[in-house]
Amino acid sequence: MLTSAEVSEVTLTFADGAEHVLAVEAGQNVLDAGLAAGLPLLHQCRSGSCSSCLARLTSGHAEHRAGASSSLTPSEKAEGLRLLCMTEAQGGCSFSLGYDSKVGETKPVVAQSFVNAVERVAADVVRLELELAEGSWLTFRPGQFINVTVPGTDVVRSYSMATTPADLPRIELFIRLLPGGVMSDWLENRAAVDDVVTIEGPFGAFFLKDKVKAPHVMIAGGTGLAPMLSMIDTIRATPGKKPPVLLSFGCQTPEGLFALDRLELRGRWLPGLETRLSVDRGACESARTGNPVAAITADDTLPPDAVAYLCGPPGMIAAARAHLEALGLSSENIFAEHFTASGA
Amino acid sequence: MNEQTPVRRRRTVSANQIAAERMNDEKTQGQYQPYKDAAWGFINHWYPALFSEELPEQKVEGIQIAGVPILLRRAAGKLYAIKDQCVHRGVRLSSKPMCFNDTSIACWYHGFNYDLETGMLNNIVANPDSTLIGKTGVTTYPVQEVAGMIFVFVREDDFPLEDVPPLHHDLPVRFPENNERFPHPLWPDTPSLLDEGAVAMGMHRTGQSNWRIACENGFDNAHILVHKDNTIVHALDWVLPLGILPASDDAITLIEDEDGPKGQMQWLFTDRWKPVLENEALGLKIENLKGRFYRTSVVLPGVLMVENWPEEHCVQYEWYVPITDDMYEYWEVLVRVCKTDEDRKKFKYRFDTVYVPLCLEGFNDCDLYAREAMEEFYADGTGWDDEQLVETDISPVVWRKLASRWNRGIAKPGKGVTNATKTGSIRMRRLAEGKAPGYFVEKIENVNKR
Repeated sequence: MLTSAEVSEVTLTFADGAEHVLAVEAGQNVLDAGLAAGLPLLHQCRSGSCSSCLARLTSGHAEHRAGASSSLTPSEKAEGLRLLCMTEAQGGCSFSLGYDSKVGETKPVVAQSFVNAVERVAADVVRLELELAEGSWLTFRPGQFINVTVPGTDVVRSYSMATTPADLPRIELFIRLLPGGVMSDWLENRAAVDDVVTIEGPFGAFFLKDKVKAPHVMIAGGTGLAPMLSMIDTIRATPGKKPPVLLSFGCQTPEGLFALDRLELRGRWLPGLETRLSVDRGACESARTGNPVAAITADDTLPPDAVAYLCGPPGMIAAARAHLEALGLSSENIFAEHFTASGA
Repeated sequence: MNEQTPVRRRRTVSANQIAAERMNDEKTQGQYQPYKDAAWGFINHWYPALFSEELPEQKVEGIQIAGVPILLRRAAGKLYAIKDQCVHRGVRLSSKPMCFNDTSIACWYHGFNYDLETGMLNNIVANPDSTLIGKTGVTTYPVQEVAGMIFVFVREDDFPLEDVPPLHHDLPVRFPENNERFPHPLWPDTPSLLDEGAVAMGMHRTGQSNWRIACENGFDNAHILVHKDNTIVHALDWVLPLGILPASDDAITLIEDEDGPKGQMQWLFTDRWKPVLENEALGLKIENLKGRFYRTSVVLPGVLMVENWPEEHCVQYEWYVPITDDMYEYWEVLVRVCKTDEDRKKFKYRFDTVYVPLCLEGFNDCDLYAREAMEEFYADGTGWDDEQLVETDISPVVWRKLASRWNRGIAKPGKGVTNATKTGSIRMRRLAEGKAPGYFVEKIENVNKR
């Protein structure tokens, strides 16, 4: 059992106000203690040189390990700056950090982009390809969405990327046309190659979880296919054995189906991918009649650790969630993004 | 509001335009887009690194495969392969090997010392108490030695070791286990590198073209025209056709076994392919007398097998190991099962006196320059869009699609590695000194004299 003389209470305050209290043992450096506690502390060399783990001592006593050299100048030290990888606490003390606690997460930014292509790909779906402008950048996790300001208006709409971060600066969106919709009006009547479009992102907690080898089920209704395309391409490029992916994609009518050539290519390139197409009504050779949820059945013998990604209208999400849980999937392994049509 | 900076397009080069009416139009090309993206090679595959005799006990060698610098060392009888790039300042450890024991290697610059088995930084020569020790390291690569060849599994840093497939997944199909599936009535069972008593003899050298251009040459059945005048063909009176045309829709069989290699077998010298021995209009006729039957197949990551070549009981393997996007290491290996020392000696004698001068050099030198002759058309992307394919090109196109499906990863363009920057002054100086860029690290030979 350690006595209080051997353990110091260290408070770390991030720039966004998030505060964490650590127990740092004698002889242990603050960085190691913080990383062991899972804090998002910036660091690289861990040997007093690179200065990534810079922090400011705001109260108490804490010095660099006796005799250790570092790249901090004496005047910086006198100001209270410390490198956490070299710093041992002498009793209770506090540090402030120059970055916020969400540093590991991608913060949304506003970016400018150019239209590369506007193309009708189904009766009511348009493919919009954007390219980030010189000096503009944003990144995202596969499955996330961006907000797009409809050019010439101050109306904002949200769409998931169909491309992956590796495709940047190119971004591709699939947009459903709605009668009288502001975005639809722009796409159908005014949008042209080289138009400038303001976007902001990324947003959303719906994204592909890393390094899951259990089978993946993806259920997409209409333009809910877009984030699935991004995730499938990401899985394809991930090193190591790839999980099997069962994609069920459904639309109301055969005329609404899109990106089928793309799905066929993914099927050729990713041996573990199986795609099922459904339409609610209307005969179609390549698609079954019904909804994409019912296309997944007990015959698929999904293991209990299978993960599911759902994207579509709220009714479909609710039905899919209930259906998959009945098939034995655990509710915490089901991730969903629902979209609703915006009013004009 | 007046201060707003104008929004500008990125300065990117627009892709070449593809004419829609071409045989290899956009849709066809799309089917093998991953292959087109693989200029730096496929990664997460087994590649030959060195012949065993090139790495004697205590030797350290540095090579580069698919843009990954790799160091090999043999110490106390054990083989190791780690990334040849110090985590500290990026120096290649192999350019001036410094080893203080049999289980580690030190960077000769600032003394970062790495465990060869795990890649972990386990010491720093002049800083043994550094807090960095034990917290970082370099990637390790699985190694396997068979029949006189050293193979390395070239992986991405985060490719899990438990997912590394066995070597035979990246080697050609074997016989007799495939005799029923791929019968070969015209020659005895083809030996394999993995057979007991197999002996591999060969050579490797650097070719100055993209690895895909090189690879597609070997199983392209119209390319044999480049061999029309080769000495061995006429000295041994071989019937080498002007070309071989596909004659049925099952001319090629895909190999897609779950527990085995992925590739394609071409049914040469069966009724599925038609050898062309005469072109009347051009006054050409093959008049040699001795049948020289062979069969070509290719498996990922680009391994050619020519069965029954150059003579009976022998097989020629070739690899086109990507070094960068414009260089590959050309491996020509002949394999024969030698049951006795006598067999081995005979094979070695024939290898030295006939196979090297007349086959691996004389005959295959033509392939080397033929590939380099294509390089400039493809180097900037032009060839991929503008090539005018013809009947015999079913072989490369099937291969491109198959490779797009079964590769385990597309190598990222090399960054921070040898020959990634084409115009650097060091590269220029080496060229001026008459040293072509290549596969091996440039060693610092004499520490006291330049």
